[in-house]
Amino acid sequence: MDFGWTDEQRLWRRAVRDFAQNEIAPRVREIDEEEFIPREIVKGMADMGLLAPTVGEEYGGAGADWMMATIAAEELGRADISLAVPVMYLVEAAWGFIFYQYGSSALKEQYLPRVTSGEAFLGIATTEPGGGSDILGACRTRAQRDDGHWVLNGEKVYISGVRESLDWGGIHLLLTRTDFDEAAGHRAFTFFALPLKGTDGIAPTYFDDMGRMGISTGGFALDEVRLPLEHQVGDLNRGFYHAMEGFSAARTLIGATCVGASETALAMGMDQIKLRQAFGRPIASFEGIQFPLADLYTDLEGVRLSTYKAAWMMDRMYQDGEATHHDIALAAAMAKLKAPRLGFSIMNEVADWHGAMAYTKECPIEMGIRGIRSYSIGAEGTPNVMRMIIARELLGKDFLPTLYTEKS
Amino acid sequence: MSRDILVWVEQFEREAPAASWEAVGVARQIADEGGGGVIACVLGGDGLADLAEEAVAYGADRVLWAADPTLADFRVEPYTTVLQQLVREHEPGTILMAATFRGREIGPALAVRLETGCVADCTELHFQNGELMATRPIYAGKLLSRCVIPERRPQVFTTRVRAFPKPEPDVSRQGEIAELLPSVTEDEIAVKVTGFKDTAGGVSLADAGVIVSGGRGVAGPDGYEPLRELAQLLNGAVGASRAAVDAGWIPYEHQVGQTGKTVSPDLYIACGISGAIQHLAGMRTSTVIVAVNKDPEAPIFKIADYGIVADLFDAVPALRDALKEKLE
Amino acid sequence: MHIVVCTKYTPDSEAKMSVDEEGNISWGDSPLIINPWDEYSVEEALRLRDEHGGTVTVLSMGPDVALEALKHAVAMGADEAVRVWDEACAGSDTLATSYVLAKAVEKMGDVDLVLCGKSAIDAQTWQTGVALATRLGWPSLMYAINLVELDREQRSITVERLLEEGRQVVEAPLPAVLGTTKGINEPRYTSFIGIRKAAQMEYPLWTLEDIGADREKVGPQGSGVRWPEVFEPPAREAEAEIIEAETIEEEARILVDRILAEKVI
Repeated sequence: MDFGWTDEQRLWRRAVRDFAQNEIAPRVREIDEEEFIPREIVKGMADMGLLAPTVGEEYGGAGADWMMATIAAEELGRADISLAVPVMYLVEAAWGFIFYQYGSSALKEQYLPRVTSGEAFLGIATTEPGGGSDILGACRTRAQRDDGHWVLNGEKVYISGVRESLDWGGIHLLLTRTDFDEAAGHRAFTFFALPLKGTDGIAPTYFDDMGRMGISTGGFALDEVRLPLEHQVGDLNRGFYHAMEGFSAARTLIGATCVGASETALAMGMDQIKLRQAFGRPIASFEGIQFPLADLYTDLEGVRLSTYKAAWMMDRMYQDGEATHHDIALAAAMAKLKAPRLGFSIMNEVADWHGAMAYTKECPIEMGIRGIRSYSIGAEGTPNVMRMIIARELLGKDFLPTLYTEKS
Repeated sequence: MSRDILVWVEQFEREAPAASWEAVGVARQIADEGGGGVIACVLGGDGLADLAEEAVAYGADRVLWAADPTLADFRVEPYTTVLQQLVREHEPGTILMAATFRGREIGPALAVRLETGCVADCTELHFQNGELMATRPIYAGKLLSRCVIPERRPQVFTTRVRAFPKPEPDVSRQGEIAELLPSVTEDEIAVKVTGFKDTAGGVSLADAGVIVSGGRGVAGPDGYEPLRELAQLLNGAVGASRAAVDAGWIPYEHQVGQTGKTVSPDLYIACGISGAIQHLAGMRTSTVIVAVNKDPEAPIFKIADYGIVADLFDAVPALRDALKEKLE
Repeated sequence: MHIVVCTKYTPDSEAKMSVDEEGNISWGDSPLIINPWDEYSVEEALRLRDEHGGTVTVLSMGPDVALEALKHAVAMGADEAVRVWDEACAGSDTLATSYVLAKAVEKMGDVDLVLCGKSAIDAQTWQTGVALATRLGWPSLMYAINLVELDREQRSITVERLLEEGRQVVEAPLPAVLGTTKGINEPRYTSFIGIRKAAQMEYPLWTLEDIGADREKVGPQGSGVRWPEVFEPPAREAEAEIIEAETIEEEARILVDRILAEKVI
């Protein structure tokens, strides 16, 4: 057991913190109001190796392992509590890795260097109007072979980075049904690399989010969209499993970025309670303030450790084969279940400590509250789905709720 | 070695900065206390006679001046060589100069040539057990260090700008003025000066008695306009925080703080500056600090003597008008 | 081109400094970092290398922790890093430090340009660059805020350097020692790939024997300056008098009265 950092990890954390605190933190309010991430921030992230860092160097990535990617996620969350920049980062880091693992060389050659240099966006599109976390039930977008092409029809909603992809170019990894036999179960889905920009048959739509305003949320309908065969990513009908792999990665990074934002909130709160006076003394001296602080800090440290353990297990799996997909699914689900909810509680508590100012835009905490709520609702899996995964790993597949749904 | 103190009085266009006279004042005080005479040295291209007389008025017993084309522009090599020649001929025990850009370069260069110690940026200098003990800020003034040069002579000290009072000149003072023949020729000097750009824009920060400084609150390059007007009225200089410089609103030459200039004017007016620790480190020794900030919790109020909680765009013009009214 | 950048480690500029009863300096839990002024030198060296080709070597005199500065420079893109240290070097002033650095530069043999930061944020002596130039007998170009030109054919360098009154444009032959100041460039952040290189690289340690230095000329016996005492400055006592009145004009008038009463203008 070793809770220390390697030299490389320590230097990387310092570098990302330096960059994020200097270049991102002072502009969070501006990002939230203008509703986009300034190009120079994206460029700066590219120069540092912060865009899709898990992609190999041959495509301009950094070849980062999950521990390093998770450190960066925490630091970006610490700098941008609205979570806009972290969302952009983690979507590309997690799903860029899936594309890097399973995409064809030609396709990767075409897109990844532009993603890692910040000229293009790489996103994920699984959720549909019928739902997100329950892929089996909700994924109705269809892909069918026709005359040397794939033809896609359907609709995706609540997708991050639709505007970015349409503006800059790039791809969304699109999950579609490719086997229409009910008996195919989870072996019915396939990923495609879908460029939203310049593709015929795409009808985009946008949602006006409550938070993390710097990155767009949208959707698109696909009407007879034709993609060349090479745009298939990964094996035919193995998309569900590729998705699970990507979800585990994304959930770990979400855990870290929520931890980072929570640390900032708690630090702000501690500054505030030391300064703010009530009844002739700093409010930090009241047990009614101290005890919640102690509880929240303790919970946060626990979540932080479990998040880094998830990252460590991912590296054990990808580097040494010492962990399984089950191990990482469990570890990542625990991080994703706890971190956003705890972060939301911390921000609420810290808002209380600030008094009325917290309810105004003079105080950044409201951006944090609006931003982190996204991850405690869903985005890469709802809390209840996290609980199902955790219970599945504890109890085994015989008790999966879906088995009983099907039986009844 | 004698007890004499050699002070290099720098000049630009035949005028010495106040900082050099401050150094002469320190030398005078040391000489009065510890014995020995004050030898001032003035180097330049030509026309140094007035400056030599001024040096006497500020406290020098002897002034040695050298006018030569090789000394017309400030350059480390010939200046150090001439000062070294002076040290050989007059054997002063102590050498002083102002810790300006020039002094900070000449002091160490001379010390290395003489294989002796140089204490830079002294803010206090006094005798302790017969030795000159210097006090100087370290870690941006977060700590102070006492320094001494126990064995080697001559010993070199540079005095921090505005850390010591500028003496009152006494035109009735008598002193010996002599011309010195410099022993340098142009072909021995590697560095050539090919131009000069005036970028300071009026009063320099280091010398200014009043500094009106603006930070993030000025909100853009144009936001400095009211600050400039106020500074002009007070014959002061305009300063800036790192945030404003990094945002590109004002050139680096104006930056006050740990990564900018350390200043100690008589009056420092901080406008829209929250007061990051690095900024405070650069101006905390100002005599009177006034803070104008919208945020009553801004840390700048912890160090200020007077504060107004208001938008600087309301407060600064009001301050200008109130001053005009009083000064008329 | 062989460019050497001299650097040292310092506590972070945000560190809260204190001195304990024994006179030991502490920077709390602040990290040790590359002296921030040195980052401008590293950046300028990297730009010159990228334009003219060659090698950038970072050089630091110091104990193990000095590696922090070297690693940062390598993570920014420096090619080589050398640390010089011997316990005998502890307590060196700039006279002794410049001697050691000059010996190391001389050992390298083929150096065209040495860059230094304008000062270090810890001891703030402003001396090492010019002292090193004097030791080497090379031109000293301190407080350079703009590198106008480096002419490899003519082996000359032209810079604008700061004076109180403005910028002096100076030209000097190579080799030379250049002291950089903020404004000369915008130092890059370290990158992931640079950090990986920095973490994996071997950092050679040169001893005094390696550089042919005379032990009498380093440490306290090689120094001119001693610093018997370090202490915390007395706290500034002022708690601001917040001026409050009905109108801003009235507040301004009261403030002007206060300032005039202080007799500072």
